[in-house]
Amino acid sequence: MPQGDYIELHRKRHGYRHDFFEKKRKKEARQVHERSAKAQKALGIKGKMIAKKNYAEKALMKKTLAMHEESSSRRKVDDEVQDGAIPAYLMDRENTTRAKVLSNTIKQKRKEKAGKWEVPIPKVRPVAEDEMFKVIRSGKRKTKQWKRMVTKCTFVGPGFTRKPPKYERFIRPSGLRFTKAHVTHPELKCTFNLDIIGVKKNPNGPMYTSLGVMTKGTIIEVNVSELGLVTPAGKVVWGKYAQVTNNPENDGCVNAVLLV
Amino acid sequence: MVQYNFKKITVVPNGKDFVDIILSRTQRQTPTVVHKGYAISRLRQFYMRKVKYTQQNFHEKLSTIIEEFPRLDEIHPFYGDLLHVLYNKDHYKLALGQINTARNLISKIAKDYVKLLKYGDSLYRCKSLKVAALGRMCTVIKRIGPSLAYLEQIRQHMARLPSIDPNTRTILICGYPNVGKSSFMNKITRADVDVQPYAFTTKSLFVGHTDYKYLRYQVIDTPGILDRPFEDRNIIEMCSITALAHLRAAVLFFLDISGSCGYSIAQQAALFHSIKSLFMNKPLIIVCNKTDLQPLDGISEEDRKLVIEMKAEAMKTVIGQGGEPENEEGVLLTMSTLTEDGVIAVKNAACERLLNQRVELKKKSKKMNDCRNRFHVALPKPRDQKERPPCIPQAVLEAKAKQAEEEKKRKTEKDLEEENGGAGVYSASLKKNYILASDEWKEDVLPEILDGHNVYDFIDPDILLRLEELEREEGLRQAEEEADDFEMDGEELSPEEQEALAEIRKKKNLLIQQHRMKKSTAESRPVVPRKFDTDRKFTTKRMGRQLSTLGLDPSLAINRARSKSRGRKRERSVERGEADGGDTMDIDGNQASKKLRLRSMSRSRSRSRPPITEVLPGEGLKDSAQKSYSYIETKAPVLWETFHWKDGQALRHVQEIKL
Repeated sequence: MPQGDYIELHRKRHGYRHDFFEKKRKKEARQVHERSAKAQKALGIKGKMIAKKNYAEKALMKKTLAMHEESSSRRKVDDEVQDGAIPAYLMDRENTTRAKVLSNTIKQKRKEKAGKWEVPIPKVRPVAEDEMFKVIRSGKRKTKQWKRMVTKCTFVGPGFTRKPPKYERFIRPSGLRFTKAHVTHPELKCTFNLDIIGVKKNPNGPMYTSLGVMTKGTIIEVNVSELGLVTPAGKVVWGKYAQVTNNPENDGCVNAVLLV
Repeated sequence: MVQYNFKKITVVPNGKDFVDIILSRTQRQTPTVVHKGYAISRLRQFYMRKVKYTQQNFHEKLSTIIEEFPRLDEIHPFYGDLLHVLYNKDHYKLALGQINTARNLISKIAKDYVKLLKYGDSLYRCKSLKVAALGRMCTVIKRIGPSLAYLEQIRQHMARLPSIDPNTRTILICGYPNVGKSSFMNKITRADVDVQPYAFTTKSLFVGHTDYKYLRYQVIDTPGILDRPFEDRNIIEMCSITALAHLRAAVLFFLDISGSCGYSIAQQAALFHSIKSLFMNKPLIIVCNKTDLQPLDGISEEDRKLVIEMKAEAMKTVIGQGGEPENEEGVLLTMSTLTEDGVIAVKNAACERLLNQRVELKKKSKKMNDCRNRFHVALPKPRDQKERPPCIPQAVLEAKAKQAEEEKKRKTEKDLEEENGGAGVYSASLKKNYILASDEWKEDVLPEILDGHNVYDFIDPDILLRLEELEREEGLRQAEEEADDFEMDGEELSPEEQEALAEIRKKKNLLIQQHRMKKSTAESRPVVPRKFDTDRKFTTKRMGRQLSTLGLDPSLAINRARSKSRGRKRERSVERGEADGGDTMDIDGNQASKKLRLRSMSRSRSRSRPPITEVLPGEGLKDSAQKSYSYIETKAPVLWETFHWKDGQALRHVQEIKL
């Protein structure tokens, strides 16, 4: 025992107080009531935090109780049914299945032609032009209103140089330019911080795509060389599409999900 | 001199509590109310402030942690090594490094989000950005949670390390486990170290302090060291090795010659030889402990040879540095902590050698040279060959010798007490040295009350003398009284004498009454004090005479004095009235009886008052016109009020309607 552990040394030499254990037990028993009184009296944000904590505890407790209650009683075990196995009276009905397959292929071809892909976010809220752009007044008397500043997050390529300010119609402020995105792999369920290569399509219009504006639902191309993916042919995949899943201007970062 | 006090490090909160503290502080200390109708710049500023404030707080707290924890490279190597042994330098540095990175990350986050907030154009957007910023900062802290917990544990342990000063005089005790190091420590210092029969009772360094030659020495007790290769040593042994390696101290190597610790002398000697490199430049003493079980002379030949070898080595540890032992025997000492035999000798030897070494070193250092140049001991030059020894008179020498003898011969009370059974048994007789008329009275008990009197009131060394004095005085006074005392008997006097007696009595009464009068009413009138007018000469007549001799008109003065004096006839006493002739001013002694004065008397007018507009001297007015004007100004309104009090009041005459 180190020299500074006076409490323990005293306990070793003289033992505990005669009422130590009783006091301890009673104090711990009182804690329950004190805790409840505090939770009832607390106001404001503190009260909310306490309530949240208590609720989380309660939910956890309920789950564990339910788990314990899952009795180890014996239940009837169904015989394993193999995938694709059908009962005897359904055995000779192949045609419908093939037809279904055929119609599915046709549907997919149609979709390809139309350019509709399966994406995690098929529909997005349309963003109006006045929400997207802010009118900048220019000129000596500040009467000219042909300049616009983009208020959403954008991506400009690495070799980007601005047009001369006099002729620049759309201003993309550097504070709102992003180069990296947090991309989640849907199956691995892990997130990587990957470089953006470019903006492929913005659902709000081709103008926004050409400007490089990233809103929710935009398809972007990201550099996945980090992931080490390989094509069946043996080539290394270094770019893949991902769809933006948040509003980057509200969160300060671009979150996307990889399209596999 | 840096104080190696690790108790001052602030508590490191764990991850969750840290986040809670900072966020609740932000919520309390920044404005909380904002509406979406506010100007956009105001909204932006509101949220930017919150982000910045949170970042500042995080920065502050993390900086305190980083700064307060000691840097292992900047403290004394003893402590650096000790902390490395206990906590592993790498882990420690990594943890602190993580805290540092977290701090930088948080700063970066705050900077980025403040930049983004400048583009916020709605309340919702600014609010979301602020939420995102705070959330990211808190995630950073959550990630360093384990480091924070680790640092908190280290802090708690560090605060309990013994406060060892690496630069002061130190004595180090080392040896195998169970040889008696901690018992020795308990004997010479006040440190209460645990002493138990099993090995490795002492698991860390213990510090105690002891005094020698008015200097304080630090005594450090180490855990036992086993004889193992260096790499195999565990943390506890490494503590002792660290202390041995870095502290400049006198080393006491303990040897258990009885073998009751469980290790033979051969093993202990082997240990000695394996760590003797650590004893370089340190005064070393080999202490043979437990001599009550096995005296040093009784050990076997091989053991004796080993011991001699060790002694030889010990002599070589410090050569030419001042800490050399005076003789061969200064290196090997025996003692027994159980019987306390030789303990003090060991301590003194160690302290002495350490002191010598330190003094020598100090003398050789540069600082000493600077000081030495300033000292100059002046001795008087001998002018001739005559020897002049100090001269002590013979009487003094004899007295000194006698005193010394007496000191030895005199039996003290303490000796008596011890002879007769000790402190609880013998009680000294305090009345032994009383000086009384008869020696038999010494042990008598003095009563407190005798015949109803307090005995202690009558105890006085000169009580008989006092009694005589009092009796003499009493006698004198009695004689006086007899001379004074004669009875006033009416039959013995003649009629003239009786008359005279009556007159005298009357006069006396009068005087008494006058005096009383004067006393009771002296403050209300200006009087000529008695000391100036013992003969009662100050009368108005005299004043008038004197003023007229000066050539002034006395009438005004006399009038004034009269107007202030009391009324005449009634108050005067019958006898005094005729004698005086009337116009005396009030002087001491001229008062009527007090009884008449009890009824407060108005001042009756002795002369008629002057008209209202006549200017009297002393009023400060120029002429009668001014005086009448002043009257009108001051007194007229009052008079008007007094006479016209009915005007303006509700009480009016009701016109009687004649029917």
